[in-house]
Amino acid sequence: MSTLDEMTAGAEPIEPAFTPQEQRRRSAPRRSRRSPLAWVQGGGLARLAFLLPLLLVFAAFSWYPIVRLVVMSFQQTNEVITTWVGFQNFKEVWNDPLFPIAVRNTLEFAGLALLFGYPIPLIAAVLMSEVRKRRGLYAALAYLPVVIPPVVAVLLWKTFYDGGATGVFNTILGWFGIPPQQWIQSTSQAMPSLVLESTWANAGGTIIIYLAALTGVNPELYEAASVDGAGLWKKIFHVTLPQMRTVLLVTMILQIIGTAQVFLEPYLFTSGGPNNATMTVLLLIYDYAFGNSLGAAYGEAAALSLMLVAFLALFSLLYLRATRAWSDE
Amino acid sequence: MTFKRKTRSFVRTNLTFAAIAAVAMAMPVGLASAATAKAAKSHVVHISVVSLIPGSTQAAFNQFDNQVAEFEAANPGISVKAVQYQWLPATFAAKLSSGTLPTVFTVPFTDGRSLGNNGQLANLTKYAKALPYYKEFNPSVIAEGIDSKKQVIAIPTAAYAQALSYNRQLFSQAGLNPNKPPTTWAQVESDAQQIAQKTGKTGYAEMGASDNTAGWILTTLTDALGGRMETGIGSAAKATFDNSAAVQALNLLHTMRWTDNSMGSNFGLSWGTMNQAFAAGQIGMFVSGSDVYTNMVQADNINPAIYGLAPIPTAKSKTAGVLGGGTLAAVSPKSTPAQIAAAMKWINFYYMQPLINRKQAIRNAKTLIKDKQPVGVPELPVFNAKIYAQDQKWIKPYINVPESQFAPFNNGIFSENVIPEPESATQSIYGDLDSVVQAVFSSSSADPGSLLSAANSTGQSSIASSGA
Amino acid sequence: MSAIRSWPVRRNKRAGGESHQGLVQSADWKRPSVRWGLGGTHAALLVLLVIGGLGPILWLAKAAITPTQDTLSNPMALFPHGTALSNISDAWNQVDIGLYIWNTVVIAFGSWLCQIVVATTGAFALSVLKPKWGRVITALLLTTLFVPSVVLLVPLYLEVVHPPLINHSFINSYWAIWLPAGASAFNVVIMKRFFDNLPREIFEAARIDGAGPFRLFVSIVLPMSKPILGVISIFAVLASWKDFLWPLLVLSDPSKQPVSVRLPTIFGQTELGVFLAAMLIACLVPIVGFLIFQRSFLRGTGLSGALKG
Repeated sequence: MSTLDEMTAGAEPIEPAFTPQEQRRRSAPRRSRRSPLAWVQGGGLARLAFLLPLLLVFAAFSWYPIVRLVVMSFQQTNEVITTWVGFQNFKEVWNDPLFPIAVRNTLEFAGLALLFGYPIPLIAAVLMSEVRKRRGLYAALAYLPVVIPPVVAVLLWKTFYDGGATGVFNTILGWFGIPPQQWIQSTSQAMPSLVLESTWANAGGTIIIYLAALTGVNPELYEAASVDGAGLWKKIFHVTLPQMRTVLLVTMILQIIGTAQVFLEPYLFTSGGPNNATMTVLLLIYDYAFGNSLGAAYGEAAALSLMLVAFLALFSLLYLRATRAWSDE
Repeated sequence: MTFKRKTRSFVRTNLTFAAIAAVAMAMPVGLASAATAKAAKSHVVHISVVSLIPGSTQAAFNQFDNQVAEFEAANPGISVKAVQYQWLPATFAAKLSSGTLPTVFTVPFTDGRSLGNNGQLANLTKYAKALPYYKEFNPSVIAEGIDSKKQVIAIPTAAYAQALSYNRQLFSQAGLNPNKPPTTWAQVESDAQQIAQKTGKTGYAEMGASDNTAGWILTTLTDALGGRMETGIGSAAKATFDNSAAVQALNLLHTMRWTDNSMGSNFGLSWGTMNQAFAAGQIGMFVSGSDVYTNMVQADNINPAIYGLAPIPTAKSKTAGVLGGGTLAAVSPKSTPAQIAAAMKWINFYYMQPLINRKQAIRNAKTLIKDKQPVGVPELPVFNAKIYAQDQKWIKPYINVPESQFAPFNNGIFSENVIPEPESATQSIYGDLDSVVQAVFSSSSADPGSLLSAANSTGQSSIASSGA
Repeated sequence: MSAIRSWPVRRNKRAGGESHQGLVQSADWKRPSVRWGLGGTHAALLVLLVIGGLGPILWLAKAAITPTQDTLSNPMALFPHGTALSNISDAWNQVDIGLYIWNTVVIAFGSWLCQIVVATTGAFALSVLKPKWGRVITALLLTTLFVPSVVLLVPLYLEVVHPPLINHSFINSYWAIWLPAGASAFNVVIMKRFFDNLPREIFEAARIDGAGPFRLFVSIVLPMSKPILGVISIFAVLASWKDFLWPLLVLSDPSKQPVSVRLPTIFGQTELGVFLAAMLIACLVPIVGFLIFQRSFLRGTGLSGALKG
């Protein structure tokens, strides 16, 4: 990637004096005989000192909670007594009537987000990359919503979505003779409304990523295509898109991973309503753990979290494969 | 369920200087001396107490701070920190499990006993029974603060009945008599339609948010029509959502929403947003607690002239009645004995004294008037009828709410049968009913009967998993 | 605004001189049909971007100084009954929005510092000092990339409430936000990748000059890492500014909450005009920050696709 090269400009990778394997082979026997003093003199203390923040923070806030999540998913606890319950938490989640609803809604959110949020930034980025004057202004305008704190964006749109005839969006629709819509109060419109806001809030970032990728397309390819007599559309479909296929794949996977964890929008817009139309997987996890004023179902929350991790790990693997292919290009 | 939360206690609880001596006298001697001994040993006892709902006016907060100052002056060994607080089902559990609740906090009647049975509230038995007025509590009200082991785990501070708030101005504009609010649900429907047609405002609004409020109001309507959402107690309780009264209530809502088109355009209102919209003059009628006026003054600057309060219309049936509810003050189980003693002093000072002590009731009323806070908002008696009547007499000269506008409620409520909230898994039951109400509001083809029977099984499993 | 204009112009450099050799060739550009067609499309795009990107914020700015009743009854009218500047002062004095913005800044600064310290020292150790168990640690780091922090909500929360070994709850303490923010494998991995590409001769030369690991880190590696530190910093500050769920859970004390937690609490309890004014004030800091650091923001985001993983 040209962009990555630029990041590391001036830092040409060079061959280390020894390959790591050689280094290990050389140092291994020596280490085993070292005294603590030798260890300190050999830089062991410095190594440990530099590693310590990482080890402490990750042990406490990443590795330990991961292990605990797995343990908790097989337990039930009222914070005083904890019992092992095998797969019962998973069974209860599986049999919860809200579970299929939450999965379906999350998939619907992800699908709609792809439908709205995938082509729009691509079209905008392709158009913007051809802007000759003040392209930065276009980019800044597109990026502005990304800068707004998401909570402010959601609450602002919640005001826009007022279902009355004097709501902001309904007033605008009224100019075109369209009757007032129910937006987030309607079981059928609630989810698209959430996705619309989310697309507005996030498209800017995707546009900028695409713009960066578009600048990486070798102009000679366009030139060659022109020489072959290719028109604009042909060039888009035969040069631009194929050249961007990896970045397109990566943003798609990132978007799926992101939307599978959607929480803010359903929590603040609708609390999962109306009639559970916007109940998502993460909102269900939250409800299990914190939603009941009388007590928490931490075991079920942990079980559902693990199920989500398994799903996300699949896409993360795809993502790693895609980025590896990308870096190798 | 009380969505009234802390704010309500403002109604009659502003004490001033002279109150100090009375507080000391009202405290049982043994308790007071024990607390003093403790205080002397550890110098100052620190407690935190819930103050007002976030978003209340600065005047209201100032008034609360003044009361804290008075209390501290009267109790030199106690230091009080005020914390803004609103009881919400979505955030209470996290505060509870993380132990971040203040020393003194409030919960609705719905949750007190269950929290006590789970050992999540401090045992107040010996302190409560030492209160000179303990025997004067209304038995059905104090029962809300007693757990299955007969321990007192919370002190009821207020009780209310569900009621119909209505906008007198919109009634007049629609050609209705503001002194004759509807007394049947058929009248509610026709009045709502008339308001919607004549004024263009919402005729009748109902809470529809996914925070248990939608289910709470549906339960209110069902009880008023003679049905019950739950029968039995504890783990033997049965969800009975699909009763004919609930179907009737939902059909009424369906007609008003889809046929009469008299329910306006906002179906996601919650307790606070409903009050806000009503105070802004956008709503003809809605159902909530009999004391919501207080919050409308504290947070929404309501014009008093528009407000009217009537009893919930009830069907002519023996089982029909008005859903009640209330607020309990409880103490964190993490508190030290000295803190519990101090917390009980605060509860006595802030919540109870204005209800049972003449001097302080009057003092309280006077300062409320000074700070433009309402005096005389209708509630149900926390104590027995004699004390309640006394209290009403004490504050009578100071009532600054438009009394005649509350007359329909005050004249009607005492002949009504007040029904307690569902006993088992109350908040979960309300939560399960939220989606039924929302389905009726969002789809004209919604079928109340099948929605209720589908929700009924969810409700039954809520009862089972509550382990009550 | 010069930053806007100069971004991104790298292609011009590569293409050389004035000629623009993108999708539409300079030769095509001279044709009126292409020129007008594309020009028209661009004008339309600009209008859409202004409406979409700027519109909601302009509406917020307008509504913030409009009386609540006007916003409710005629939201698209421009000051039909004058302005209500009192909304702004009420938002500042009554809602106390300044306090919550300050809390947000404190939280963001601590999270940023924690991330930078962990990422730089950890990556330096793994990449340059190469400890014996470095590979195992790197593998463990990579594993955590598969577990988004949000699914660890429940165990992390319980850990903060009852930390093992320490008998002290971190609820209502900013440490409960700062420290977990440091556990970002993504930061360490890209940092390490950057260090891996630094020329080893410099390290060797420094060692021969007698520089120990600390000198090497402070005087040589950190100064060379400015670009990547900038990118990580922007991500760190943005992420912290945007976070909602975690602060909601661990900061129940209103006086410690960031704007993102406070605003939803008072939504519907505060007069709409005052509330919108508070929202506007809450937007100003990030918008101004964006205008100042625009170039870094956009470059950082553009690179993020390339850097992640």
